[in-house]
Amino acid sequence: MNTSRIEITRYPIVKKILTSRWLQWSAIALTLPFFILAILAGFFGTPAGNRNFGIVFVWIVWWGALILLLLPFAGRLWCAICPIPAPGEWLQRRALVQPRAGGKLYTLGWKWHRKLKNIWLQNFSFLAVALFSVVILTTPLVSSIVLALFALIALAMSLVYERRAFCRYLCPVGGFIGLYSQLAPIELRVKDHAVCASHKDKTCYVGSDAGYGCPWLVFPGALDKNTYCGLCTECLKTCPLDNVALYARPFGADLFSNTGRRLDEAYKAFIMLTCALAYSIVLISPWSILKETAYAVGSPGWWVYAVAFLAANLVIVPGIFYAGVTLAKKIARLTTPTKKLFVEFAYALVPLGLAAWIAFSVSFVLINFSYAWQVVSDPFGWGWNLFGTADWEWTPYFAGAQAFAQIPILLIGLVAAIGIAIRTAQEQGASSRTALPVIAFCVAYTLALIWLYV
Amino acid sequence: MKREFFALAVTFLLFVAFPAALFGYQAIRTNTSGARVIDLIAYAPANGGWKPDSIRVNIGERVRLRIAAPDVVHGFEIPALGITIDEILPGHTEEIEFVATRAGRFPFACTRWCSADHWRMRGVIEVIDPANPNPPRATFAPPLYQQLKIDLDAMHVAQNLPAQKPSAARGAAINLALDPRTQSPSEAFARLRANTPLTDAQLWDAIAFAWKQSAGAEQIARGQKLYARDCAACHGEQGRGDGTAGINLPGMAMMHREMNRGPADFTNAVQMFGASDAILHGKILRGGMGTGMPEWGSLYTDEEIWNMVSYIRSFAFDYR
Repeated sequence: MNTSRIEITRYPIVKKILTSRWLQWSAIALTLPFFILAILAGFFGTPAGNRNFGIVFVWIVWWGALILLLLPFAGRLWCAICPIPAPGEWLQRRALVQPRAGGKLYTLGWKWHRKLKNIWLQNFSFLAVALFSVVILTTPLVSSIVLALFALIALAMSLVYERRAFCRYLCPVGGFIGLYSQLAPIELRVKDHAVCASHKDKTCYVGSDAGYGCPWLVFPGALDKNTYCGLCTECLKTCPLDNVALYARPFGADLFSNTGRRLDEAYKAFIMLTCALAYSIVLISPWSILKETAYAVGSPGWWVYAVAFLAANLVIVPGIFYAGVTLAKKIARLTTPTKKLFVEFAYALVPLGLAAWIAFSVSFVLINFSYAWQVVSDPFGWGWNLFGTADWEWTPYFAGAQAFAQIPILLIGLVAAIGIAIRTAQEQGASSRTALPVIAFCVAYTLALIWLYV
Repeated sequence: MKREFFALAVTFLLFVAFPAALFGYQAIRTNTSGARVIDLIAYAPANGGWKPDSIRVNIGERVRLRIAAPDVVHGFEIPALGITIDEILPGHTEEIEFVATRAGRFPFACTRWCSADHWRMRGVIEVIDPANPNPPRATFAPPLYQQLKIDLDAMHVAQNLPAQKPSAARGAAINLALDPRTQSPSEAFARLRANTPLTDAQLWDAIAFAWKQSAGAEQIARGQKLYARDCAACHGEQGRGDGTAGINLPGMAMMHREMNRGPADFTNAVQMFGASDAILHGKILRGGMGTGMPEWGSLYTDEEIWNMVSYIRSFAFDYR
C-alpha cells in the first residue's frame, strides 16, 4: 500500500461521477463542437491564421490548456475527452452512453501487429507533424486537413482494429501525452493486485454488461504507470469488486520506479526535448529566416531544414546523450549494456522536456492568447461579432515578464531531471557522480533555452 | 434506451444542426445585407498573389469585397472603378461595397510595396452587362509613341545639354510655343536656338517653364502622388534611380552599356532631355525595355500616365 497517495474515489460524489456512464460522452459533447468549428473554420474561414478559430483555438487555446494545465496536473485527461476518436468508438459500440451486453464491440477486431505494439509510429507521426508544423500551425486550411485526417484515420481504424488502436499506437499527440503523464499527480490504479489476480473474468479488460473492456488495451491489474491509461474510467465501471480507484499522488511518481523503461519511450523523450528547442529557435527566436525556411515547404532551404530537423531529433541529440552515457559508464566501470543505460537515463529527460514545453508554450500562448477573444466572436473571419469582442486589439499578456515564469519552470525541470539521473545511477549500483555527463547534458540544454528566452 | 436516444439526438445536433446553424447565420447575414460577398485573399506574389485573380460581377449588382491579408501589408485598388482600400494589415480582413456601373474588364492591384515583386500583384474584375453579355471588343487609339513610330527601346540621348539645371521660375517671363509631347527638350532647344535672341541658359529656362506650363500644377501634384506610391521604391524619392527595391532587378545585366545599370535616373539630363513626353509615356505604359520596369498601362488611365510624366520632368527641370 502506497501511503503517499490519496484515494479520490473514496468520496462518494467523485465515485458517482466517475462511474456514471454519462461522464465521457458529456465531456466529449462539450469538446466536439469546438473541434467541429475548428475544422469548418479552417476549410471555409479566413486564411489569416490569427483570425481563424481553427488556428487560434487549436494551436493556442487548446495547446496552452494541454501543456500548461491538463498534462502537468491531470496527465492523460485530455485523451478521455478528446473528440477525435469519439465517432469511431461510438460506432464500435453502436452506442453513445449505454453499455452493450458483455461490452461487445462491432469491429473487425483485427489485432495490431505485434512488432508495432510500441510508440515508434507515434514518434514518427509526431515528427511528421512537427516537421510541417510551421505550415500546419499558421495555415487554417492545412490545419483543418490534418485534423480531419486524424479523425478519419481514427474512425477507419476503429472499424477495423480492436478498441482505440489509433490512440494507443498512432496518435501523434498521444505519444507525448503518455510520456509526460508519468509526471501528473493523479493515477488510476487497482487497490489490491491480489484481488485482480484472483478475479477470473477480468471484466476490466474484456468488458461486461456494465461497460467496455479497456479501450486502451491495458489490463488495469498490471498498471504501474500512467503512460497508457487513457483515464476513460471504463474499468471503474466494469470492476465488480470495486478494486479500481483514482488517486492523488506526488508529481512524477511513475519515474521513481525504473521498471518497464523502453527504447521507443526514451526516443519520445529525445524527440520532445529536441522539438522544444527547435521550435524555440525557429518560431520565437529573432532569426526569422529560419521560420521562413521552415514555411517554404519543398524549397531547397526547406530540405536542408528538414534534414537538419530530423537529424537533430533522431541522431544528433540522442547521439550526444549516448556519448554522455558511454562516458558515465566508463566513469563508473559499469557492466550494464550501454543501450540499457541509454534508455534508463533518458527518462531523466521527461521532466526536463515537459518543463521545456511549458516554458516554450508560456511565451507564445501569452503573446497570442488575445486572438482568442476575436475568434470567439468571429470564428470564420466573416465579420461576425457574436459577443462584441471581434474588434478587441491583439495584446500580448505579460510581455516583459515571461522570462520570470520560464526560468523557474526550466530550473524545476532541471532539478527533477538531475534527481532522476542520480537515482538512475544509484539504481545501477554506481555513485551519484556517474550521472555527471547526463547532468551536464541537462544543464547545457537548460542554459540554451534560458539564453534563447532571456 | 431513453438516455441513449437523448445522447444520440444531442450528438446529431452537434454534427448536423450546429454546422447548419453556422452557415445559415452567415447566409442570413449575407442575404439581408443585399450584397454579394466575394472573398479575395491578398498574398504577396511569391506566395501566389491574389486569390482569385479574376472575378466577375454584373452591372448594377451590389458587391461586397472582403479582402484578407494573411502574410504582409497590402493595399487594394480598382483604378477604373475608383475603389481603394489603403491598407490591409496582416491577419486583418477589410471590406468594401460597390456597384459597378459600366461594363468592361478592369485590372485591380495591390497598392502597397508588399514585396520585391509587388507590381506583379494584379488581377482582373470583369463587369458584365446581363443585357449585353458579349459586347464587341472596345477599340482604343494606339498610344502616342506608336502613332509617332518611336522605337521605345532605342537610345534617346540628348544632343544638347544645359550648363545648369533649367529653372521654370527664371524662364517664367518667356513664352515659347512648344509641344512637349512630340519633342524632347533637346530637340526643342535645337529648333529654337537658331531663331532666338535668348542666351542658351535663358532658352533652357524658357523650355523648363514651357514644360511646366503645359503640364499644369494640379496634374503634377497628381503625378507626384502616384509616383510616391508606385515608382519611388525603385526610382528613389528624388528620382535618382536609387530606390532600394530597384537593386538587382531582373534584366539589369542586359541593359544597354551606355545606360545606368539600375532604374532610370530622372535627374540624368542626357536621358531626360533626349526623350519626348511621348517616349516617357510609352515607357510607363508598356514597361519592359529589357529591364525590370513593370507595365502600368493596364492600371493607369492615360491621363494618369501623362500626370506621371509631368511629375517626372520635375527632377531634371527645376519647377520650384
